[in-house]
Parts: sequence; C-alpha cells; structure tokens
Amino acid sequence: MEKTIITGSDYVAMVRQGAARLNAKRKVINDLNVFPIPDGDTGDNMYMTIGSGCSNAKAGDLSLSSAGISKGMLLGARGNSGVILSRIFAGIAKGLEGMETADVSQFAAAMHSGVTEAYSAVSNPVEGTILTVIRESVEKAAGNDFEEYFKTLVTEMRASLDRTPELLDVLREARVVDSGGAGMLCIAEGMLDAIVSARKGIGIDVAEGQQIETAAAPSRYDLDDFGPESVLEFGYCTEFLLRLQTAKVGDTDAFDESVIRDWLNANGESVVCFRDGSIVKVHVHTMDPGSILTKAREWGEFLTLKIENMTLQHSEVTIQDNFSSGGDEFRTAPKPYGVVAVASGRGLVQSFKDAGVDEVIEGGQTMNPSAAAFIDAFDRVHAQTIFVFPNNSNIIMTARQAAGMYAESHRDCRIEVFETRNVGAGYVAAASLDFSCRDVDELVAATREQIGGVVAGQVSRAIRDSQVDGIDVKEGDWIGISGGRIVAAASDRSALALELAGKIGAGNHDVVLVFYGAGVQPAESAALARDLQSKFPRTEVIMTDGGQPVYEYIIVLC
Amino acid sequence: MLTRFTDTDTDIWPNVAAEYGYKLISMPYSVDGKTIYPFVDYDVYDYHSFYDSLRAGALPTTSALGEEEYYRYFEPEFAAGNDILYAHFSSAMTVSFDVMDKVVADLLHKYPERKFYSIDTKGITILSYLIVRELGDRLNSGMTAEEAVEWAKTEVDHYAQYFFADDLKFFRRSGRVSGLAATMGGLIGLRPVIHMSREGKMESIGTVKGRIQVMEKLVSYVEDMGDDIKNHRFIVGHTDAPELAQQMADMLHARFGDDLQIEFVCTNPTAGAHCGPNGVGVAFHSKRR
Repeated sequence: MEKTIITGSDYVAMVRQGAARLNAKRKVINDLNVFPIPDGDTGDNMYMTIGSGCSNAKAGDLSLSSAGISKGMLLGARGNSGVILSRIFAGIAKGLEGMETADVSQFAAAMHSGVTEAYSAVSNPVEGTILTVIRESVEKAAGNDFEEYFKTLVTEMRASLDRTPELLDVLREARVVDSGGAGMLCIAEGMLDAIVSARKGIGIDVAEGQQIETAAAPSRYDLDDFGPESVLEFGYCTEFLLRLQTAKVGDTDAFDESVIRDWLNANGESVVCFRDGSIVKVHVHTMDPGSILTKAREWGEFLTLKIENMTLQHSEVTIQDNFSSGGDEFRTAPKPYGVVAVASGRGLVQSFKDAGVDEVIEGGQTMNPSAAAFIDAFDRVHAQTIFVFPNNSNIIMTARQAAGMYAESHRDCRIEVFETRNVGAGYVAAASLDFSCRDVDELVAATREQIGGVVAGQVSRAIRDSQVDGIDVKEGDWIGISGGRIVAAASDRSALALELAGKIGAGNHDVVLVFYGAGVQPAESAALARDLQSKFPRTEVIMTDGGQPVYEYIIVLC
Repeated sequence: MLTRFTDTDTDIWPNVAAEYGYKLISMPYSVDGKTIYPFVDYDVYDYHSFYDSLRAGALPTTSALGEEEYYRYFEPEFAAGNDILYAHFSSAMTVSFDVMDKVVADLLHKYPERKFYSIDTKGITILSYLIVRELGDRLNSGMTAEEAVEWAKTEVDHYAQYFFADDLKFFRRSGRVSGLAATMGGLIGLRPVIHMSREGKMESIGTVKGRIQVMEKLVSYVEDMGDDIKNHRFIVGHTDAPELAQQMADMLHARFGDDLQIEFVCTNPTAGAHCGPNGVGVAFHSKRR
C-alpha cells in the first residue's frame, strides 16, 4: 500500500536509514576533495551530524520526533556541510511543528522550510554546493505519495549534484562533484529506502555489510550523568547482531525475520530490524534490555552486543540544556574575557595555550569539532566576552551556530567568532589580544585588523595525480596551499616550503612563524629555518614544533 | 679615606670594579630555593649556563638585602675611619635602599664623623654600568666625593638606555615594567622597547615586530637622543645573545661610523631574572632621558 501519511516513527526510521546510507558512502564522500590531500571529511562530518540527530530521536508524534532529531543535529553539527545539514533538518522540524502526522504536501512544505532555513544559515550562499542540491531537488520534487515524492526528489538531487561542477570552477578542475551535495543525496536515498521497505513490509534494507551506528560520537559520555539516585528515564539503546540458529528456527533461509521485528515493535521503540543472510541486525530502545536479549535467544545467538544507557547519550547531546540548570548557582562571577580556539597537534595546542587561550578544542581540517564541543568550551571558559578562533573555514559556521545556541541561554555573554581560516591567523590574533583593554568593541576591531594582516600557507602531500589551479600535481608531490589555492608543487618538501614562503610574501613581512608537523624531524626544520633566514634576512623566523597532522608545514606571515 | 662601593646589579665584574677601587655589594637571586650571591658564591659569571636555565624553564626570583648585610658591608669602613661613596642601581626599583637608608642613618648616628655619599644611577644593568664607569674615571682623576655627587645631579640624566626583551613572561612576572601591553606578543615576534625613565623606572615605550626591526628602532633612538656619543662609552648589553649584540653593533657602526667605541656587556643574573634571555639593549650619552 502506498504511503500517503508519515508518522513520527516513520520519520525517525527514514532519517535513521538516511544515516545508514550515508555511513555506507562516507569514505567515498570524504574522498570528493578538491585538493589531492587526505584532508576531506565531509562524509564523516555529515554522518556524525545526522548520527547525533538519530541519538536524540524522540518517540512520539511527528512534531516531537522531528524536533528531537533537529536538536541533536544542531548540537552535533560538524563542518560546514554538517551545519547546513543540521539547518535543513531544523527547517523541516519547524515545518512539521504541531503535526501528529503529515501528508505529502505538508511534508513537501516542510522540506521548503528546510531549504529556507539552510540558506539563512549562510551569509554568502555559494551555488554548486549542498545548498543548490537541496534547493533544486525540493523545488522539483512532487508526488501523490511519499515514495513518488522521494523518488523525484532523489532523481532531481542526483541531476543537480551532477551539475555542481558547472557551477563551481574548483569542482570542475578537480573533476569531482560537491561532497556535501553527495552526502545529501545519500541521505535522501536512505529515506526513500525506508519508505519502499515499509511499503513492501520487508524492513529497512541497509547496504550490504553496513551496520547502523546510532551513537555517532559517544566518546565523551560522563558516567556521572547517571548516579545512584538517577531514574532510568530514557531506557537503553540496545543493538546486536543475531546469528539465526537452525536448532532454534529450523531452515534459516525460510525464517521470516518479521516475527522478530513484530515482537520488538510490541516490546520496544525505535526498532530497526533487518536481515543479511542468517544474520539479523537489531536496534531497539527499551527499558528492559534483559527481556529483549532473552527473547532474541529463542531465535539465535549473539555475534555482537552493545547496550548503552540513553541518559548518557541524552546528556551528551543536550549539554546545552544543562547549562541553565542548577550548576550555575555555584559558579564564580564570570571573568571579563575568555578565549576559545581550535587546533590539533600537541605542539600547536600548547602554543595556543601559551598564547593565552583558555580552551583549545582539539580539531582541525580532518577533525571538525561539533557545535556541542564549542558550547561545552564556552561554558568552561565562563567569561563575559569570549573570543573564538575556529582556525578553519570548515569550522567557522559550527562555531557561529554554537555561539547562537549558547547565547539563547546566556544573554549576558558576548561571543565573538572571528573568521580565522587557518591556525596562523588564530594564533597571531590570540597572541596579540590585549585584555587590559576594557573597550570590547575596540579590542574586537583591533583583533579583526590583526587577522586581516596575516598570510598563511600550508604544505601537504598529494595522494593522487591532479591538476588544480593550473598546477600539475603528481601523487607523492608536496604541494603548497594558500588562500584556498595550490600555489606550488615540488618533490622536495623543504624546497617547497621555502618556495611557498616566498610566493606568499615572506620577504615583505617582519616575522614568519613556521609550525612543523608530526612528520618533520628537528634537523630538517632547523635547516629550513636557516634557509628562510638566509633568503629573507629582514624577516624574523620563529620555528615551533606544532606536531600537527596532514600539514607538514604551516607557514604564517605577520 | 673614601671607600667606593657599587653593586652587582650595575653589571660590573670584579676585575672592572677593581680598576676604580669599587667594592662590590652582591645583589642576590634565588633559583630552585637556593639563594645565590653573584661573585660571592662564584668567581666567574657563567652567564650562558644561567640564561640556558631560564630557557629551560627556570624562573628565578630576586630579593632585597637585609639590614645585617648592609651593616656587614658598611660598618667596617666607618669603624676604620673611611667615608663611603656608593654608586648604585635605581633606588626606585627595590626596597633594598629603604633598608640601607635605615642602616646608614643608624651607622651615621654611631659614627657621627663619617660621611656617606649616595649616587643613584637611576638605572640598572648597562645604564648603571656606563655611569659607574664614567664616574669611576672621574674619581680616578681626582674628583672628590662631593664633586661626584654634584656631577651626578646633572649628568645621570644625560645617560640613556633602550632595550628589548624576547620573552615578556619574565617582566610580566616581576611587574617592574610599566606600560607593557597585556599580550603574548613575544610569541609572534612582537617586542616591547623599554627605556629607563628620569625616575629610574623601566617603562615600555612601544612595541616593534621583528628582530631586525626592533634593533633598527634602538638605532633610531640613539640617532634621536644621542649626544656626543663618540666621546663617551657606548655599551651594547645582551642577555646571552652575543650574536645579536654583534649584529646590533654592526648596525650602529653602519649608522654612526666604525670609530664608535662599543663595549659589550652581558646582563647580570639578578637583573637577567627579570629580563629573560635573548634581549639586547644600548646605553649611551644622551641629550636627556
């Protein structure tokens, strides 16, 4: 029977399947990278974002379910694509607000709301990105039932994605399509899968060998969130792989796993149950995992098993809610200024701390922190004015989103997110902050000016042949990047660093700071320091063991 | 007889002090809980090791002298019938001199025939070094203590010192420089230029980015403020940065000619504890402070 109405649990299942589909393709999406270096992580960012939404999915009507997913995604958003994705789903949730269920036209309207919300999140929307892909597809999608609607949505999305290189030169030159748009397509395909599976009554059909990871970022659970007096409010997220046993069910091929799914639906929530050969994959939320496990053993034996208290998951994704709770009354008065920055690499992190940064969020090009990580840092800094240096163009939006969310519950706190697109700009700005200045506007203006004067370049290794920005790059070459463009390529790393420094204007600046990465030995960096000093005698050379990944040298002129 | 005193905060070493008959009052510093008296606890100042320990993270402290120590330096001189002339580092930079004044007042009460001449160089390190040497020349040439005091009243303000520090954490910790920007600019090559005020205090008078550029700034101060610099001593001081000091001297020679007589001095450890390593400064005869 065609699906013309969706409920809250339908929506959760669709998003969850979208996440699973994205997970299956996230490596491919990561590799849709303009630069031929191993720093693409759009797939990871989008998956972690939607995974955070799935973890926060609430059982209930459509309004409640979509709001829960939206909240989780807003907090879990990582990277620009993750932020935009979270805003798409926030817009959809807005469109579904107050609805127990939705028909196709209501859902289509909510999708339009998602597009509007996503565009509003970006100050200068760039076409040829995920924005274009979602907008064009939503504009053209239509149908009398959800399957038809999503089929046209997916078809248009794919066509739009294929056109992205026509809209963005960097994509055309690198011969790739937009990675964020590709991730969005995966999610839409997964949502369509869920609808088709529901119509066929065959459960969700996840790509071969893929397991749904609902708890995308469970690394920071605080076990104290569930204490001796805590009440089990959210139950347990229970996931397992069950090998059907002939001794228990007879012919496993003939066994109908809908028996299991029906039983789980009657005894739990958020059920995902599908079959891969004789393996049945199960995800269920339950107050009593013991009864689920006991029952499951009537059909087979466990291959893997994971049970997590969802109060911990809930605490992780609803961290913002906790800020306005009882803890604040015991806090001291906020200090006038605080600084939050993002950096990765032991030496770089220490350098930022030396520069006076209160909270360094570990992250960078290949490890974009979530909005929740920023909110957590803002709370720890506990200052009247917080300066934020995201230090990566793919993290700025996340920082802004976190600042906006934090401000909702901390009206007295002013958060200034500076558009530092590399660690160099953030480091120079942080080291220059003069907190004896009590005029915040003056300090903000001075900091912006400081950032504007910084030029930076990075050296990394090409992982494939490519021609970008008119420069032929061979796999294994060292490439020098500055201002979002490849400006030099060479087989010798130090020579390339020297050339890069020259091309970005080291001779015209008073100081060159060089952060050398984890792969550079001190002898090499010392030799480079000598060469730089010799080539640019009026420029002071300051070398620092940054220990950062991906970029063997980060060269900063100030 | 007049006994001449100066102190180790003037950067003078015993061999140079001996040229002028100065007795040295040792100003102590403490590191890792151990208090060290320069040229008392050692004969040769191994400045490289000292500043290397700062580079490695040591944060020495300094302390004032106690009454007992001043009695030990001064009373034997009074008891022997000698008057005292003490050319010292800036009294505005330490409470030591409050202690000293109390001791001297007590001793003068006890030895009413004796005289105590105090000359405040209103400086420290190379500025005091320059003044103490120029004063020593005059004393060796027959200048009396009273004339020395009169000379100092006008001449001390005609010697100037400008320098930069490489790492502000030492100054920030000591709190002895006013006007320092509350930044970590040293990390990005941003250095404050510091001078000694007429009151004998260290003041930051601006910041310059880049090592060459900050040394050029020092040259420009010599250019603007220098007075008859070739007929006076010209000191380039450093905190274990001999190559930078040489570079500074080269820039000065390039600007003022090779006949500018430059003397190199490494900053004493007690003052160095406040400056940190890799700093360079100039001291010269000037139009004014």
